[in-house]
Amino acid sequence: MQWVVITGATSGIGLAVAQKLAAQGYGVLGVGRSADRCQQAQARIQQSYPQARTQYFCADLMQQRQVHRVADQLCAHLAEHADGALHALINNAGCVRGWYTTTEEGYEQQFALNHLAGFLLTYLLLPALQRGRGRVIITGSNSHKGARVHWPDVMLQHHYGPLRAYKQSKLCNLLFAAGLNSRLAGQGIRACAVDPGLVHTDIGNKDAGGLVSFVWGLRKGHGVPPDVPAATYAALCGQDAPPPALYYYDGHPRRYSRRVTEASANRLFELSERLCGIAYEA
Amino acid sequence: MKRNLRVMITGACGGLGRVLAGECARRGYWLFLTDIRQPDLDTLAQGLARRFGARADTWACDLTDDAAVNGLFAFIDARGLAFDMLLNVAGIDFEGGFLQRERQRLLDIVSLNIEATLRVTHAMLTRRRQGVPFYLVFVSSLASLYPMPLKATYAASKRFLLDFSIALRQELRGEGVRVLALCPGGLATTAEAMRGIAAQGVWGQVTTNRLERVARRTVDKALANRAVYIPGAINRLLARCGRLAPAGLVAALLHRRWQAARGHSY
Ligand SMILES: NC(=O)c1ccc[n+]([C@@H]2O[C@H](COP(=O)([O-])OP(=O)(O)OC[C@H]3O[C@@H](n4cnc5c(N)ncnc54)[C@H](OP(=O)(O)O)[C@@H]3O)[C@@H](O)[C@H]2O)c1
Repeated sequence: MQWVVITGATSGIGLAVAQKLAAQGYGVLGVGRSADRCQQAQARIQQSYPQARTQYFCADLMQQRQVHRVADQLCAHLAEHADGALHALINNAGCVRGWYTTTEEGYEQQFALNHLAGFLLTYLLLPALQRGRGRVIITGSNSHKGARVHWPDVMLQHHYGPLRAYKQSKLCNLLFAAGLNSRLAGQGIRACAVDPGLVHTDIGNKDAGGLVSFVWGLRKGHGVPPDVPAATYAALCGQDAPPPALYYYDGHPRRYSRRVTEASANRLFELSERLCGIAYEA
Repeated sequence: MKRNLRVMITGACGGLGRVLAGECARRGYWLFLTDIRQPDLDTLAQGLARRFGARADTWACDLTDDAAVNGLFAFIDARGLAFDMLLNVAGIDFEGGFLQRERQRLLDIVSLNIEATLRVTHAMLTRRRQGVPFYLVFVSSLASLYPMPLKATYAASKRFLLDFSIALRQELRGEGVRVLALCPGGLATTAEAMRGIAAQGVWGQVTTNRLERVARRTVDKALANRAVYIPGAINRLLARCGRLAPAGLVAALLHRRWQAARGHSY
């Protein structure tokens, strides 16, 4: 049995991916921030697919202490049930914040959750990914096009704008995938980002602030149901060879921003390593 | 520009404290952070070090406990630290009917917002760096400007800080102590605060201040020796109206508004 880890697996796209992969016979390890919703999601999957092997873990992934804790739990679970091998890590948890808000570290929340959490979790699960010759799939977004990274102030403490912060974090997703590929190519690990399209979820209505919430309320109705993008994740997990392209939409490679360069990827790696207190390459 | 101010922040791990700490770290100040839990302080100090290369000392203590605060200052004295700025951020925000709350929880508001603030301020003023200005900031609230039904104790505690701050400013003028009272409207400091703002609809949106901007300007205004900082043009207007209207009328209007907002959120 192949095992996958999915973050933000309690609603929206992540939940749909968890259900789909459980149905296809993967062992699914879901991560969510609310114990209640974790329990509900697990029960729901177990009910639809009684033979599924699913386990949920609760962690607020904005907080690095909790990323460390849940990574330990995931590794322990994989060691016990999967010989320590991970087939795919799906970094999907994400948020939108209408206001400048911070984590325990004092980091801006969108940057912390949408980018740093996956950066750190991937690092902590590297041994399992190496063992499983696994893939790293990151939920990006086409909104990264036109965005740039505000290097002197990545947390946007000076010119915070909800969309600017969101788009930048999604550009970081692609830069991270690119940076991972150049660093881990020799180890059989491959990373890519997925554009799910416009999806009908509540992401913009969760502690996002009145205005963002209002706008998202109008916009989300035009989105596709979450099981539409889930098919792309399933395809990327299912194909024998690791996904060759960097960015996918609807099952196919898609063009991405010209700002995704090796130099920027390296710069983001350096910065993120410092902010997480880790070093990918010894 | 002075780059080596040494700044003490109380309540450093809360939403406003974190952003103020980040603002000071960005300016290159030396930080001394206190809050109630040491692991939270360690995490914040580590984040500030990683992000800004900041130097931050930390000491966890309960500011409502006299003996614990003596411990804090014993630590400071043992290291011979002197300060240039104190940001009194520690405080309880609180909402709900007087009779719906436990007696002790109400007394806690006074004990932290008022007593603990006086305790720390008094001790810090004797540990200021000599020969240079000392900057003292009290985090009051827009709520300090009116009597507030359903936030009666909280608003009155913030009123205490406002009046105290203005009086102390006058008293210590000749000694190089500059005192600022910050009176913010809503701040998106916690998930709960964000939901509270959302529950107030448009009203919440327009009276909410941007945390990062409030932090930046608070430090600017303290350095510029301003007395009171009410962030946001709408809030300043509300403050002015509040001063002109009879207190009983303001209380009646606010009571109605809070009840409506609570109706939304429950
Ligand atoms: N919807 C779209 O149109 C769209 C478009 C492009 C990209 N995306 C991306 O897709 C991803 C998933 O979004 P979605 O639309 O499916 O939104 P969603 O329904 O809100 O799902 C987000 C998931 O992340 C979890 N989460 C939120 N904060 C967390 C935290 N601090 N720690 C751990 N988990 C946390 C949520 O948990 P709860 O269930 O507890 O809320 C939920 O499971 C995001 O990365 C988003 O940027 C979405």
